[in-house]
Amino acid sequence: MIKHLFKLVWNRKRSNLLLMFEIFFSFIVLVAVMTLAAYYQDNYRRPLGFVYESVWNIGIDMNAATNDVWSAEMVSTTQQLFLALQDFPEIESACGALSTPYGLGARQSVNEFKGRRVEMEVNEVTDTFLQTLNLQLLAGRWFDQTDDASNWKPVVINQRLSRELFGHDDPIGRPFEPWSSPGEEVRVIGVISDFRRDGEFVGPGNYLFERKRLDDPRHRPPANLLIKVRPGTNVTFEERLAARLQAVAREWSFEIRPLTRMREVAMKLRLVPVILLGLIAAFLMIMVGLGLVGVLWQNVTQRTKEIGLRRAKGATAAAIHQQILGETLVLTSLGVVLGLILVVQFPLLDLISSVSVTVYARGVLLALLVLYGLTLAASLYPSWLATKVRPAQALHYE
Amino acid sequence: MLKNYLKIAIKVLLRRKFFTLISLFGISFTLVVLMLVSALLDHAFGPLPPEVRTDRTLGIYTVRMLLTNNFERTGPAPYWFLDRYVRTLATPERVSLYSTQRSVAAYVAGEKHSLFLKRTDGEFWNILDFQFLEGGPFTAADEREANFVAVINQATAELFFKGQPAVGRTIAVDGQRFRVAGVVPNVPIFRVTSFADVWVPLSTAKSNGYLRESTGSFLALLLARHPGDLPKIKEELQTTLARVEFPDAREYSRVITAAETLFESVARGLFGSDRDARNYAGYLLGLLLGLAVLFMLLPAINLINLNVSRILERASEIGVRKAFGASSGTLVGQFVVENVLLTLIGGAIGFVASLFLLNALTGSGLIQYAHFQMNYRIFLYGLAAALFFGLFSGVYPAWKMSRLHPVDALRGQSL
Repeated sequence: MIKHLFKLVWNRKRSNLLLMFEIFFSFIVLVAVMTLAAYYQDNYRRPLGFVYESVWNIGIDMNAATNDVWSAEMVSTTQQLFLALQDFPEIESACGALSTPYGLGARQSVNEFKGRRVEMEVNEVTDTFLQTLNLQLLAGRWFDQTDDASNWKPVVINQRLSRELFGHDDPIGRPFEPWSSPGEEVRVIGVISDFRRDGEFVGPGNYLFERKRLDDPRHRPPANLLIKVRPGTNVTFEERLAARLQAVAREWSFEIRPLTRMREVAMKLRLVPVILLGLIAAFLMIMVGLGLVGVLWQNVTQRTKEIGLRRAKGATAAAIHQQILGETLVLTSLGVVLGLILVVQFPLLDLISSVSVTVYARGVLLALLVLYGLTLAASLYPSWLATKVRPAQALHYE
Repeated sequence: MLKNYLKIAIKVLLRRKFFTLISLFGISFTLVVLMLVSALLDHAFGPLPPEVRTDRTLGIYTVRMLLTNNFERTGPAPYWFLDRYVRTLATPERVSLYSTQRSVAAYVAGEKHSLFLKRTDGEFWNILDFQFLEGGPFTAADEREANFVAVINQATAELFFKGQPAVGRTIAVDGQRFRVAGVVPNVPIFRVTSFADVWVPLSTAKSNGYLRESTGSFLALLLARHPGDLPKIKEELQTTLARVEFPDAREYSRVITAAETLFESVARGLFGSDRDARNYAGYLLGLLLGLAVLFMLLPAINLINLNVSRILERASEIGVRKAFGASSGTLVGQFVVENVLLTLIGGAIGFVASLFLLNALTGSGLIQYAHFQMNYRIFLYGLAAALFFGLFSGVYPAWKMSRLHPVDALRGQSL
C-alpha cells in the first residue's frame, strides 16, 4: 500500500518537487521557532535565584570622560550617595553592584581551569547585596567585614560553577585558580543557589561575585545602586529620592527604575526574535497550505479517469479519501525526512551548546506535529472533491 | 481584443470560486506584507517632516575609531572630533552637532514619565524644517550662554500643561529646569536624526565632561548649498580625516567615517567590514530587493501550480483556438493578461488591507509617534510588486499552454 503511494507521488515528481522543497524549507524554520519556544519554556520554569519584587535600581551616569579611570572624588561622592540612602525610612536595605538584574552590559570572563575553559559572568557587589536581592546561600558565608583584614580575595560562586570546578567536593576555602590577574590569591567563601541576572528566558550560566567596597579608592565606584523598598512605597518617594541624589552629586545623572519595569522591558526584548521568527514561519505555513491545496486539486482534476476507474471497480469514497490523504502524507514525509537529516546535524556536530538535546527534541517534535496537522488540513477539501467524482462521468471522458 | 481577454478572464475566475479565492488570498497577503515593510522603511529613511531637505543634507552617524592595540570602537562620534574637524568644513552651508537621545525621568503630578532628551546646537533648527506650533527654536546664542531653554514636542506639552500654552513656562526633566521656547509636532521614534521629546542646548549638560570624552554620543548634520555639492562635502571630509590628531595618540591611530545619508550609514554598518568609507547603499538596496523577490518566490510557485491546473480545465478551449489558427504568441499574451488581471485584483485587495493595517498600526501606538500614511512611493512599490508577481507567475504556465498540440487538446488529453 505504502509502496504504491510512493509510486503515485513519484509519477508526478515535477509538481511535487517544488512542494517538497517548500515543506523542507518551512520545516527548518518551524524547528527553529519551536526549539526557541521550548528553550524559553524550559528556562522559564527554573528558579531565578533572587527576588526582584520591590527592588529598585538606581543607574548612575557619572558623565565622566572615560569609564576606565575613576578619581578619589568619585569614590567619596558614591559613598555620600550611599549614606543619603540610609536616611530614607522607606528603604529596607541598599547595596552597590557593577551590573544589575535585567540590565544591559556585564563583565564576562573566560578562565582556563585544569586545562578546561570555564566561562562565567563576574559581578562586583557590596556586602548587603545578599539581603537586598534575597539570594539563597547554600554553603559557606557571604561577604562581611571580616574580609576587610584578609590578605586574599574572597569570592562567592553559584552552584553550577562549583559543580563545574570542584565536582561534588566542598568548595569552601578552596583556592580559585588560575585567576585572571596573576599574583593574587583568591578563595571561595560561599556558594549560592543561582543568580540568573538576565532573567527567566535565558539559560543557566556560571556566576561569580567579587566583593566591592565603597570606602576603598582602589575599588571602582559601582554603576548601580540597588534598594529594597518597603511595601506600598510609591512614585512620590521616587521623586524625592531623585531630588536628594541630584543634590548630593550635581554633575551626575540618575535613572531610577523598579526591577519589575526593567524585567518587562528585558522580557519583551527576548521575545522579539521569537515573534519575528514566528511571523515568518506563519507566512511560510500559509504558503505551504495554499500550495498543497493547489497541487492536490490539480491531481484530482487531472486524474478524474483514474479515480473514476477505481470507483467503478468498487472502491468506496472513504478509500479514495484515504488515497489522497496518504499521498499527502508521503509527500510531506519526503520533505520532512530531508529536513530531519539536516536538523539532526546540529546536536550531532555540537553546534548548539546552550540548548540541551531533550529541549531540542521537544522543539523538533512540536514542529512535526504542526506541519503534519497543516498538510492534513490542506488536503481535506481536495480529497473531498475527489470523492465526488462519479464513475460514469469519469469513464465517459474518452 | 483586450476587452475580450478581460471578459474571458473574469468568466474563468468565477468558474472555480474557491480556488480563485485561494489565489487572491495568496497574492494579496504577500503584497500586504511587502507594502507594510516598505511603509516601515519609508517611514525610517524617506523624506518626512522635519527632514524635508533630503537632497541637500548629509549626516555623520557612526565613526569607527581604530585603537593602537588593534581593537576598534564603533558608535556615535566624540564631541571633540566633530567640533574640531567637521564643524570647520568649508563646503557645507551649515553644520549642526547634536547628541543621541537619552531616556530621562520627568515627574508630573506625582507620576513618573520617561522622556527622550536630545541636546543640540542652534544650527540644528536651521537645517531641519520643524513646523512650530507655538513659540520658536532656541538659538546659537542660547547655546553659547548655556541658557536653560527647551523645545518640546506636542505630547510633552500636553503632558506638562494639559492644553494650556506652554511657551515661557518651566518644565523639570532629569533634575534640571528648562524654560519652554517652542512646541513642535511629534517626531516618530524611527527618525534617528530628529526624534526626541525634549530638545535642549548642548551646553546645559550637567558636566562638561562631554567636551573631552574619548568615546562619544554625538552626531553631525551637514547642509549643502545645493544638491550638487554633496560629493564635494564627502570628499572634503575624507581629506580632513587624514590629518586628524588624537588627544591621546597612544590609544587611537585612525578614525573612519563618512558624510552620508542614514540609509548609506546603515548599509556601511552592515557591509563595510573593511576599513574604508565606501558607499554601500547599492549593496543594501540589492539585498532588500533580493529578499523581496525571495519572499515572493513561494507564493509565485503556488500560483504557477494553480495556474497549470486552470489551463488543464480549458484544454478543449485552447485546442479550438489553436485549430482555428491562433498563434502561440497570442495565446501566451492572452494568458499573461488574465494572470496580471488576477494579480492586480489581488493587489487592490492588498492595497486596501494595508491602508487599514497602517491606520491600525498608527492608532495602536505600538511605535511611538509613528504616523503611517500611504504615499505615492509605497503605492508605486506595491504596484511594481504586483506586476512583477503577475508576469513571473503567468509566463511559465502560458508557455506550457501554448505548446499544447491542437489534436491532443481537442481530445481533452492531459499535458
